[in-house]
Formats: sequence, structure tokens, C-alpha cells
Amino acid sequence: MLVQQLLNALTLGAIYALIALGYTLVYGILAMINFAHSEVLMLGAFAAWALAGWAPAALGSGLWGAAGLLAAGMLGAGLVNVLIERLAYRRLRRAPRLAPLISAIGVSIVLQNAVFLWVSTQSLAFPQPAGTSAVSFLGASINGLQLAILGAALGLMILLHLFIARTRMGRAMRACADDLEAAKLMGVNADFVIAVTFFVGGALGGAAGVLYGMNYGSIKYNMGFLPGIKAFTAAVLGGIGSVRGAVLGGFLLGFLEVLAAGYIPNGAQWRDVVAFAALILVLLARPSGLLGERAAQKV
Amino acid sequence: MSYDREMSFSRSRAFFFAAVALSACGPKEKVVKIAVAVPLTGDMGTEGQGIRRAVELAVEQANAAKRFPYKLAAAPYDDRADPKEAVNVANLIASDRQVVAVIGPYNSGCAIPAGKVYARAPVAMISPTATNPEVTVQQLSKDWIGPRVVFRVAPTDDVQSAYAAEYIFRRLGKRRMAVLHDKTPYGQGLAEQFQKAFGALGGRILSVDGISVGDKDFKALLTRIKADSGRPEGLYFGGLYAEAGLLLKQMRELGLDDPFVFVSGDGAKTPTLFDVSGDAADGAYFSIFGVPVEELPGAGRFVADYKARWGAQSLKPFDHFGYEAAQIIFDALERSGPDRERVLAQLRQTRHQGVLGLTVFDEKGDTLNKIVSMTRARAKDRSFQMVR
Repeated sequence: MLVQQLLNALTLGAIYALIALGYTLVYGILAMINFAHSEVLMLGAFAAWALAGWAPAALGSGLWGAAGLLAAGMLGAGLVNVLIERLAYRRLRRAPRLAPLISAIGVSIVLQNAVFLWVSTQSLAFPQPAGTSAVSFLGASINGLQLAILGAALGLMILLHLFIARTRMGRAMRACADDLEAAKLMGVNADFVIAVTFFVGGALGGAAGVLYGMNYGSIKYNMGFLPGIKAFTAAVLGGIGSVRGAVLGGFLLGFLEVLAAGYIPNGAQWRDVVAFAALILVLLARPSGLLGERAAQKV
Repeated sequence: MSYDREMSFSRSRAFFFAAVALSACGPKEKVVKIAVAVPLTGDMGTEGQGIRRAVELAVEQANAAKRFPYKLAAAPYDDRADPKEAVNVANLIASDRQVVAVIGPYNSGCAIPAGKVYARAPVAMISPTATNPEVTVQQLSKDWIGPRVVFRVAPTDDVQSAYAAEYIFRRLGKRRMAVLHDKTPYGQGLAEQFQKAFGALGGRILSVDGISVGDKDFKALLTRIKADSGRPEGLYFGGLYAEAGLLLKQMRELGLDDPFVFVSGDGAKTPTLFDVSGDAADGAYFSIFGVPVEELPGAGRFVADYKARWGAQSLKPFDHFGYEAAQIIFDALERSGPDRERVLAQLRQTRHQGVLGLTVFDEKGDTLNKIVSMTRARAKDRSFQMVR
């Protein structure tokens, strides 16, 4: 049972971590919470769904098909996020902090309702790659899908780490996160770096949306809300603005939820209570989150 | 000066439109409305739309047969399966004097608060599908304001889950069950009644858990149920199809396969279940109130008319209940004339022989026609087969 529960927690945590990264990247540079991120994740899933409906034969049902869906979701969500930044946030960059926050909430509501009104008001079946038959391992049953989700999530996190640590653009992002004005003075094209950050954060959210859809086999216009708010919590838990913190927070939240639901009698209804009580305790002890530092260094 | 001219212009335009609107209705035609307050969007929208179509069909047939000396109209309202929205909708309906009776709400969670609003109006409401006992029992409370206006054509959860308990215990021979519900009045009610009935038969309930509507991940919970030292032989779930579908899918992924049984109620029994669960639903059991429309001797005509009007694919599981509710209201209207209070009085005297068989209401407003049956999901053609 323990192995099974750990696996359940890893899958859930990996998805939370991917979403949390989107919040943390944007916060790292602009110090704003992109509350439309949960809709970016939803739109990523819908982009993949649209592709699957449009070209089912080209995609196939195996792992390549799943990779195609993932790519479509990432591209779609990344572009949407860039567009949101351009239209709804850029002009507000120097405005009081509440303005972009409210703008983000507005974008979130508009996007959710647009999908509600124009696409579907109900749950839609999301294609799951073949090979979901369960394999027994140490008394736990693992299916290929869960492994693929875990693998994809971990792979994307490693890619993100390399991107930030090893590339020129990554260095520019770190510079902007450190001090936007100073980076501009050094000749960094801040608008472009911010757009790239939104693209990367959105793409990770889109990937999470696609994996979420695959894991549960259905998507819906409001599917982003719950994982979005939980991943936001995970980002704060880990220390918002910190990339490693977001990953740690995501997995931690996954574990807390699974342990509460799996080991406390009648724990399923207490799951969220346990998880959020833990969050409050952590924040009381460390207001800037587990790996967060006091505003000095953010990425 | 210019102000005056603008006033007179807009006023004359208003008169013009009023005249057009009046002439469009015909000179003396009176419209009597039957409100349909069900979810038309969201996850329950599929079923709600089916009920709306059934009521519209009934209304069109009555108008075509010139059954009444006035024109009937169905007025659909979307309560989104949300109790708050159901109350808003109920207030809207109660204030529309053309409405003589209401069909709905679909969900017990909506019917309980909405019933209170209708009682104050007062306007009669017949729920086609709400099965929590409280929906009608609340009218007997001394805090109830207004007359008893709530009726329903669906038998209550206690009847349904007692039947499911007996089926699991006697026919399937299971003795140890885990219970799960979605914390809604419907799901929790079903689960609680099931525990009572299964325990009374001598079966053991190993665990009871609540989940939330909208939850997606039940693996931790299911893993615990699978590892339960009491070795459960099946899972009883009180809830709706979205969660039931995910539960089934995740159960199979964890290796909880046959002979471990999954049993749920009518709220999960809809073809849309297969969109969520895929093949994982195959072999799962669903108790339903009444019998499937295909098995009803009196419903052949309704099914044929419905398919002719709305297409063969559009028939949903509860449409005949909506249709029957409409027919019962027509009966009352025929005897009373289009007046809310007189319709209400006549509804209490109902003796209607229709698609569901004979409907007579008891003093609470519950139907005495308490037939329940068991169906089994078949993924191959996304159908539910009646089992005995």
C-alpha cells in the first residue's frame, strides 16, 4: 500500500509542481500573481483536445501521439500566456500592484466563460494514450500512463533548469528577476525576456493541463480552478519566486493530500483541510516559504 | 424644446413596439406557462436538456390537440445544478404570474431550498428526479411557511438504496462493502440509507468516506480501500456520474476488478458516464427508480413521439419522468383552470395513469408508485441492461 500511495503522491505532486512553476516564474520577474494561470492550463488542455479531434489519425494512440498532444498543449498555452501579458498586463507594469492582480482575475473569468459559452459546458472526453494496463510492482499497480506523466513532468523540470542555468536567455531571465531596471540598463530587452518568461510558464501550465486531462480522461471549462489554486498554494509553500521551491512545494502538497486521504480514517473529506493547515503552519514559521528568500533573490 | 421632441419620439416608438408585440400574440390569446427549472448547462445539462425536450413535447402535443382553451408554453430556466442558482430561478418563476406550475428541480440539493420559495408563492412544483426524502419531508416541519406545494414522481432514496442493499446481499452474495458519497444531499442520503439497509440484512460496512463534487483524484482513497484488512468485496457510491466515472477508471487502474463490484444509484446512470470512464464502467451496477423507459409497457408511444420530434439519439434517462410530470399537471389544469392555487389543490387529488403506471401522491407529495430496479453498464454499446 505504501508504495502505491507514494506513486499516487508523485503523480499528483508532479502535476502541481509543473503548474506551480508557471506562477513562480512570472512572480520572480514581475512580482505579480498571474491568476489567469489556471485558465492557461485549461486552454492548453483544450488546444490538445482540439488537435486530437482535428487530426486523430496523424497522432496515433501510442506515446508519440501523447507527445504530440503535449507539444500542442504547450504551444497553445504558451502563446495564450504571451498574449495575456501583452494585452492585459504590460500596460499595468508600473500601475499600483492591485491593478494587474484584478486584471488577471478578469482575464481568468473571461477565458473561462469564453470556453463555457463557445466550446462546451460539459466534461469532454480527453484522449488517453494506449498502454494504460496496470503492471504489478512491489504490491503496487503502476500503469504506463502514470509513468509517462511522471517522466514527462520530471523531464520538463530538468529542461527548465538547464534553460535557466545554461542559456543566454536563462541568464537574461535571472538578471531581470534580480533587478529589472538594472538589467534594462545593461542592455537586456526586458519586454522580450518577460514575453519569453510568460511563454515558458504558460507552456509548463499547458503541459500540466494535458497531463491532467490524460490522467483523468476528461476536461472541462473550469478544470483549471482547483489545481490552479492548489499549485499556487504549492508555490507559496515552497517560496514563491523560487524555481526549486515550486517543485518542492508541488511534491509536498501532493504527498500531504495523499497521506491525508490514504491514512486518516475518513480522510478524503479532510484532505484539503490537512493540506492547507500544513500550509498555514509552514507560513507562520517561514513567511517567505520553505526555500524563499526575503525578496532579495527570486529565481 | 428638443427635450420634449425626444420624449415624444421615444414614447411613440414604445407604443409602436407594444402594438407590434401585441399583434404578434394575436388579439385575445392567453398564454399559460409551465416552468421547467433544471440544469441546462454544466455536467448535469445533458439530463436537464432531455427533461426540457420531454416537457416541450408534451406541451406541443397538448396545443396541437387543442386540449385547453388557451395556449400552453414551456418556460425553461437553467439552475446549473447549483442550489443558489435554483433559488434565484425559483424567485424569478414565482414572480411570473403566467406560470401555473413548475417541473423541477433535477437535483435534491436544489429541490430542497427551491421548494421553500415555491411554497411562499405558492406555486406547485413536481420534481421529476429529486430523490432525497427531505425534499418532501421538510414540508411537514412546523417552520414550513406556506402550503405544501412539493410533489415528485420519483421514489425516494431509502427505497432505492434498500433495494440496492438487498440486491448486493442476496443476488450478488456480497457481505463486506466500502461506502463512498459526494457529501451532497442526494449522494450522502443514498449512502446513509444504504448503510442502514445493508447492516440490517447482516452485511458489514467497512468504511465510509466523503469526497467532493469536482474532485479528480481518488487514488489515495481507493488504495486504502483496496488494502483494508476487512477485505471489502465491493464499493457502494452515492453520487453523480462525473465522480463515478473517475472512480471506476481509477479502481480498474489500481486492479480493483471483478469480482470486486461497483454499485451506484440513478444519478450516475447516464450514457455520459462512458465519456469519463471509458470501458472501465463495464459491469458496474446502477440502481434506478422506475424501470428503464424501454421496459415500460405504457411508454412505447412516448418514446416513438420523442424520437420523431427530437431525433433518435436525444432520449435521456429521465425524460419520461419529465413527460409524466407534465401530463399530471395537464390533468390538474383540465379540472381546475389556469390558476395556481386551484392547480395545487387538484394536484393533491391526482390519479394519473400514464407512462410510469399509476401515480397517486401521498400526504407528503411522494408518489406511491415505488418501483426500483437494477441495471448493469455495458461499455460496448454504452448502454445499461436491466438485470434481475
